[in-house]
Amino acid sequence: MTARDELFDSGKLKVDEGPASFGQDIVEGLRLGFISLLAMLVAAFFFSGIVHPLFAFGSVEETVMDVLTRLALLAMPFVAYIAAASVARRYTSVNIARALLLASTSSIILYAAISAGHYILDYGVFAPRPSLEMSLSQTEDGIRVDAIVAGGAADVAEIKVGDVITAIRRDQVDMAAFNRRLSQSEEDAPLRLRFARGDEEMQETVRVVLVSDKHLSFLLPGLALGLVFTVIIVFLPGHWAPYIALVGLLAPLIVGYLWVIIATFSYRTEGILPLDGNDNLGGLTLKNWESIFVGNIAGLEFNIVPIFLTSLAIAVLMTFIVLLVSSMAGYALSRMHFPGRRFFLSFTLILHGFPAITLLIPIFFVLLRLGELPVIGDLVGFNTIGGIALVMVAFQLPLGVWLMKGFFDNIPWDMERSALIDGASRFRTYWEILLPQIRPGLLALGIFAFIGGWNAYIIPATYSIGSGVSNLPVFLEELIDATAPVDWNQVAAVGLFQLIPIFIFFIFAQEYLLNIYAGGTKGSS
Amino acid sequence: MEIRIDNLTKKFGDVVGVEDLTLHIDDGEFVAFLGPSGCGKTTTLLTLAGIYKPTEGLIRFGDRVVNTVQPKDRNIGMVFQSYALYPHMTIFQNIAYPLKLKKTPKKAQNEQVRQVANVMGIGELLDRRPGQLSGGQQQRVALGRALVKEPDVLLFDEPLSNLDARLRLTMRGEIKHLQKNLGITSIYVTHDQVEAMTMADRIAVMNLGQLQAFDAPDELYDRPKTLFVAGFVGNPPMNFIDVDVSQSNGQCVAAADSIQLPVGKERGEPPAGYAGTVVMGIRPEDITIADDGNVNGEIFLVEPLGREDLIDVRVGPHSFILLADTDKQHRAGERVALKFDMTQAQFFDPQTERSLLWN
Repeated sequence: MTARDELFDSGKLKVDEGPASFGQDIVEGLRLGFISLLAMLVAAFFFSGIVHPLFAFGSVEETVMDVLTRLALLAMPFVAYIAAASVARRYTSVNIARALLLASTSSIILYAAISAGHYILDYGVFAPRPSLEMSLSQTEDGIRVDAIVAGGAADVAEIKVGDVITAIRRDQVDMAAFNRRLSQSEEDAPLRLRFARGDEEMQETVRVVLVSDKHLSFLLPGLALGLVFTVIIVFLPGHWAPYIALVGLLAPLIVGYLWVIIATFSYRTEGILPLDGNDNLGGLTLKNWESIFVGNIAGLEFNIVPIFLTSLAIAVLMTFIVLLVSSMAGYALSRMHFPGRRFFLSFTLILHGFPAITLLIPIFFVLLRLGELPVIGDLVGFNTIGGIALVMVAFQLPLGVWLMKGFFDNIPWDMERSALIDGASRFRTYWEILLPQIRPGLLALGIFAFIGGWNAYIIPATYSIGSGVSNLPVFLEELIDATAPVDWNQVAAVGLFQLIPIFIFFIFAQEYLLNIYAGGTKGSS
Repeated sequence: MEIRIDNLTKKFGDVVGVEDLTLHIDDGEFVAFLGPSGCGKTTTLLTLAGIYKPTEGLIRFGDRVVNTVQPKDRNIGMVFQSYALYPHMTIFQNIAYPLKLKKTPKKAQNEQVRQVANVMGIGELLDRRPGQLSGGQQQRVALGRALVKEPDVLLFDEPLSNLDARLRLTMRGEIKHLQKNLGITSIYVTHDQVEAMTMADRIAVMNLGQLQAFDAPDELYDRPKTLFVAGFVGNPPMNFIDVDVSQSNGQCVAAADSIQLPVGKERGEPPAGYAGTVVMGIRPEDITIADDGNVNGEIFLVEPLGREDLIDVRVGPHSFILLADTDKQHRAGERVALKFDMTQAQFFDPQTERSLLWN
């Protein structure tokens, strides 16, 4: 069997295409690569050159366009590599050597082209960087000045070879810190260096200059990255692509959650790495969790049980009322005709769009007056769990009513008629026949309401001022407010503790949420 | 249970669902409501079930006026086109639901459900859920649920429309058999005239909210009282042609353009007495292709039905549908002579659309 036959058998090439010559494939790959380069350039220009000036008066849009431009330029080489590698991918299961050669050749050529562009435009690795125009090395005493560019910034400031830099203003620096500080400085920014010359302690102010030194050696890391990337693209199974894109987009979120979890179990963290007292990796501990249950965080004494129970009471009460009222109102709106039905529907929609914050003060007075009434005041007045739950129910209801109406609309009339004829009363039909069928909807709404109630901060904080009523989010805020310095690892532990019931809720509800009832009716009603 | 509907009118706002319907159904009778979509037959059925309240008129079950009686107090069973089974309940629970609502003891429930399920041939399916059943099985469950509470009246709302043709045929027979055995007064709504003809003792033909005719199937077929009934009942439908009927020398002749058809005295005299053009109807089986036919036409279309061919013959501007033996191998374009069996011809007043023969 010849190589050509194998190619056809692999199913990757169609007969009419045929395996092209190596040169043809290279040209094809480069063509695709350059087209994508051009496309990304156009995109970058579109954001920075066309949209940006349009919004030149607003600062938010400007920043967004800036970020988009940078993203387009950052992604440009990788998009080009992907485009070029797509040609090589045809050969992966047939002729690995050829695929690799094709991919690496085209990515080297593309990289060369991009680098040439950077070189001409003083962009990327060739962009001018802040510098003090002297070469340094780390010694035990500090940073030693090894050489100075004649007439450069350091020379002007009268820094001499052999000086040992110890600090910038009053901050002690080592080589890494010095370079970090320098790279963040703008052109002409003054850096006041403390240094030792012989035994003498001195300080001089050096002004930062921008220098672009076009060393070709800067190109090597980029080339290596490009080649590795291309090889990965060539051999990556196609069906992984969506997952990789997804993980990439979700990375900030994943890292965030990872930090919360790691932080709760460590003394302190640098990034997401747990560290002990001596800045070594390790230092895992349960003290953050322990302090929640002991009831003492940085001197702030509390009992977590009533706080937890308050949160739970608000959430459960709210879920219960929201489900009951929404499903009944939804049923009535879906099934019955009564005057004002349309008005009610559109009005609730408007209410849903009403920001809760604007009603905070008026409702404050309403609750205050309600609280003065006997009996009712004790149930739903100011400073009561009932009052807080009631207000939050009101804000959740428009969504709930509409959601439930939608679910009831989808139940055929025949089902209800059938139950009525079977001998059920209207309420029993609603309760025994219709409600079980909208169980996924009830669960979804229930979870919304529960999470809403559980995480509620602004309403419980406002309507329970100065009382013992406090739920977890309010407590969390108190914790940040009342302790100084704030121990973020303990705050993270309280935050994670707050998330636990929601995790549990989701684990059990998942199955029901995904379960959609099938069958029982056919055709239209 | 005898059902008497008197002057029933049901309006939805300004839209009239049923208008001035009077219908008396005998105890144990199987009545079909037949008509095209939107003719008011389902509205009537739901009014009988108590889902809709009549706008005007009286409905009596036996001697009891049930106008405002709730559905649950009417003791009726109903089978829906969509089956309307409760998807969250097992088949057993579905069938037992009416009994549960009647507060029948658990033990009796169990017995009755199993008995009905066995009659319906779904005894082994009791633990399943509706979603796991085929359409035919679901329909049996729906029927079982309607029967289990031993209703006084059974209502069917196009119950076979969602089944495939073969299953429809079997279920048709089964429902009719069951109804005769149990002797429950039944009302069966359908737009399929074959179903109505084969199953019902009497058929109420409805159109645009009004009752067109209420008669036994053969009566409707042989002696249609209105143009609508004549056209709706029978498949393929009756042929209609505008004719002038004249009488001379005791001989009646129906004429339209070049077509001259002698009619017997019995059928010819009433239309001959009518001043002006009348509508003549003749069923496809009453027209034959014969060499001695007196009307010449050309075959326009041949539709093979298997047992016979449906043939569309054009005579001048007129078109006639007729049935012919497949052996004859008729082809489109062929010139043929038609013979009309005028003893079966129907004549209608074009203004009132009422029959000139049967009133």
